[in-house]
Amino acid sequence: MSNIVEINNLVKSYENGHIKALNGIDLTIEEGEFVSIIGPSGSGKSTLLNMLGALDSPDSGSINVAGYDLSSSKDLNKFRAQKIGFVFQLHNLIPNLSVVENVEIPMFTSKMSNSEMRSKALTLLEGVGLKEKASQKPSKLSGGERQRVAIARALANNPSVILADEPTGSLDSKTSSKILKQLIDLHKKENVTLIIVTHDMNVAKLADRVIEVLDGKLVNAGDKSLENKIVVE
Amino acid sequence: MSFLKFILKNPFRRKNSAILAIFGICIGIIVIVALGGITSGLVSTFEDTIHAGGADFSISGKETGNSAYGTNTISANWTNIIANVSGVEEVYPIYVVLTSIGDDYMNTLIGINPNGTSMADLGIVEGRIFTDNASEVIIGKVYAKDKNLSVGDSIKIKGENFKVVGIYETGNSNMAGAVFTSITKVGDLMDDKDSISNLYVKVKKGEDPKTVADRIDKLYGENITTVSSVMEMQQMATMLNSLQAASWGISLLAIVVGGLGIINTMLMSVFERTREIGVLKAVGWSNRKILTMIVGESLVITILSAIIGSVIGVAACLLLCPMIGLTPVFNVETFVQAFGIAIIVGIIGGLYPASKAVKLPPTEALRYE
Ligand SMILES: Nc1ncnc2c1ncn2[C@@H]1O[C@H](COP(=O)(O)OP(=O)(O)O)[C@@H](O)[C@H]1O
Ligand SMILES: [Mg+2]
Repeated sequence: MSNIVEINNLVKSYENGHIKALNGIDLTIEEGEFVSIIGPSGSGKSTLLNMLGALDSPDSGSINVAGYDLSSSKDLNKFRAQKIGFVFQLHNLIPNLSVVENVEIPMFTSKMSNSEMRSKALTLLEGVGLKEKASQKPSKLSGGERQRVAIARALANNPSVILADEPTGSLDSKTSSKILKQLIDLHKKENVTLIIVTHDMNVAKLADRVIEVLDGKLVNAGDKSLENKIVVE
Repeated sequence: MSFLKFILKNPFRRKNSAILAIFGICIGIIVIVALGGITSGLVSTFEDTIHAGGADFSISGKETGNSAYGTNTISANWTNIIANVSGVEEVYPIYVVLTSIGDDYMNTLIGINPNGTSMADLGIVEGRIFTDNASEVIIGKVYAKDKNLSVGDSIKIKGENFKVVGIYETGNSNMAGAVFTSITKVGDLMDDKDSISNLYVKVKKGEDPKTVADRIDKLYGENITTVSSVMEMQQMATMLNSLQAASWGISLLAIVVGGLGIINTMLMSVFERTREIGVLKAVGWSNRKILTMIVGESLVITILSAIIGSVIGVAACLLLCPMIGLTPVFNVETFVQAFGIAIIVGIIGGLYPASKAVKLPPTEALRYE
């Protein structure tokens, strides 16, 4: 299997170098893999995920995702549009748009017609069990439902990689497991590479591999079992 | 959902802010449209009176006072005298007499050189002009209607038969009901070849009519007087031009004030939607698309303002202008000006906030609470 992610000695600091958010990360992820990233708050998990999605650029080191060299490439909005689907901790839905219109938002970057966009968005909503809420405003939905809409939105452009940053962080455990089940089903069905940041060990252990970040460094990058892991909580 | 629909949905999320911006730009547009309607109304009123090719001023005998069409006469020699004054391009005499015309015991017959009818502000609407020294007349449209006369009919003037060869229209109410024939014929009819009533004077290109008139007054002021009503009309036209200039001045002001208003509104909108803009970037929207969105939203507000402002401006004009006896005229240019300004304001007002949105790093935007 080929690697969809290749990261070498990645460094990223903020506040003029005072905060070293990532301090020399080396990581490879195979295509179709399900990886979870754990670590204490402020350890650099979100920064790493943002780097993978080209939302931020590294200070040094190399990062290659889905064939794009993210440290030098300029076509990053195209990369984000075509290769990446983001799911954030907060759903970040646009409040004045209906559920189905929110799912259509990423499709504006494609050449789809309005009706193609609509039918695809409805199919995606059906996939997360929310087709009947398509014309409602996000404010009428529960937290779990909103996050399912965000998942449908992340899938809008058939991404190669789904990046989820604590997607269940603001949900109760029952809703959380439902959301996770949906993400994992997707990963299995479509062979999408799934990278989830979480501090929930129950979530982390469902992954093929658990990566642990501490102070901007990987302390555990390849272990496929949780048995000999230092669990930081 | 189309991109356009998405853009249309955004400006009214914060209704008060949008309404305030619309209100501000509307005022500018209302003033521009109303002023445009008034100015064009005035222009068309005065253009009716001073046709192109008309005289710059007229001359009458001293005792006639200020009436350009009095029946007092001056010597026909004045025609040559005035023609020799420097700055004078053309002089046409007219001879106004009161005589029996048709069934009227007394009516106004005006003699003029056939070439001088344009200076007298006569526009032939039917038939042709009379020929010199022929028993032919042209009659005013008002008169023709009144007397039920048309081209080809004949009419008796001082016992002699004249043929109606043309019907004219004029912006000069003094002449609307008159009958014109050649000045030679009037001389014959009155048996007085040495008298004329007035002279129409046209000055040379580049000469100021007022200066030439003053020159004539200075030379011959003892015997004749220049009547400058035509010049006053031209001064009116100059005033109208400054009214038009004022309209452009207000437009400029509207651009500045409206521009600042829309920048403020759009900056607030961008600021409040920081997270949302972060999401748009995360899902792959290009900077150009985000820029288009923000400028588009700004344009939605300003174009809507132009529509509302135009409607109010036209309505206000139609309602209020008749009170001062004016019929407003709305021409395309006024609305082109109003919408042009709205579009300029929309683009310049949207560009700065849009550039702010574009420059926002997506991670910062997504961290923003
Ligand atoms: N845009 C930013 N500006 C300044 N500091 C940041 C920024 N993003 C992250 N950081 C800092 O970098 C460190 C790592 O943050 P983050 O990756 O969000 O951690 P985690 O997601 O593991 O909680 C933290 O100290 C955080 O305050
Ligand atoms: Mg985080």
